[in-house]
Amino acid sequence: MGKKIEIKNNIRKLRFFANEMTQQELAEKAGASRQTIIAIEAGKYSPSLELAFKIADAFGVNINEVFDYEVKGN
Amino acid sequence: MSYQEKRTITNMITMALVLGAYCTYAFGKYQAGTGAQDDLKFWATTMLIFIGIGIAAGIVIQIVFHVLLSVTIAVKEKVRDVNCDDKEIERSIAVEMVEDERDKLIDQKSMMVGFFIAGVGFVTGLISLVLNYSPMVMLNIMFISFSAGSILEGFVQLYFYRRGIAHG
Repeated sequence: MGKKIEIKNNIRKLRFFANEMTQQELAEKAGASRQTIIAIEAGKYSPSLELAFKIADAFGVNINEVFDYEVKGN
Repeated sequence: MSYQEKRTITNMITMALVLGAYCTYAFGKYQAGTGAQDDLKFWATTMLIFIGIGIAAGIVIQIVFHVLLSVTIAVKEKVRDVNCDDKEIERSIAVEMVEDERDKLIDQKSMMVGFFIAGVGFVTGLISLVLNYSPMVMLNIMFISFSAGSILEGFVQLYFYRRGIAHG
C-alpha cells in the first residue's frame, strides 16, 4: 500500500496577518472562485501546483509557508 | 449555495422534467396503440423531438436563471450599499460566476459517472435485443439511460461540491 499524503494549509493564518484579507480578495488575487478558496482552506480540495503558487504569490510568501503535508499510513 | 450548485440543480430539474414528459408521452402513445413495437420510425421521431425540446428548454432555462441570478445579485449589492454603481454590480456578478480548476475537475469526474450510466444503458439495450425484446425496448432503454445519466451526473456534481474533491 502506498503512503497517503494529507495536504495542510495556513491560509486562514496568512489571511489574518494580511490585514484580515477576505476570501473574496484572495480568490480575485489568485484567479479562483471564492468557493474554491473556502474548499482549500477547509481542506476539502488540494489545489493544482499553479493555483498553489498563485495563492502563495497573493500573500507574498514562499509556497511552503502556505502549504504543508503530512504522511499518513504505512 | 454557490452559483455552480444552483446551475447544476437547474440543469437537473430541466432534464428530469423533459424525461418525465417523454415517459408520460411515450407511455400514453404506447397504451393508445399509436407507438407500435415495430414502428421504429415513430420512436426515433419522438426521441428526436424530445432531444430538441431538451436542448431548447435547457438554453431558455439557463438564460432565465442567469437573468434572475444577476438581478438578485444587483438587488443584494444595492441593499448593501445604496451608492454602489453599475460597474461594481457588474464586477460582483462576474465574481459570483467565476469558474476555475475545481469546477473543471468536478465536471470531468461527474461526467465519467454520466458516461458510465449511458454505457450500462447501451449494453443493457443490446442484451434486451439478444433476449428477443423488441427494438423499441432497446431504443427506450438507451434513451432513458442517457437522460438518467445526465441527471445522476448532476447529483455527483452536487456531492463533490458539498463533500470536496481530490485529484487522481
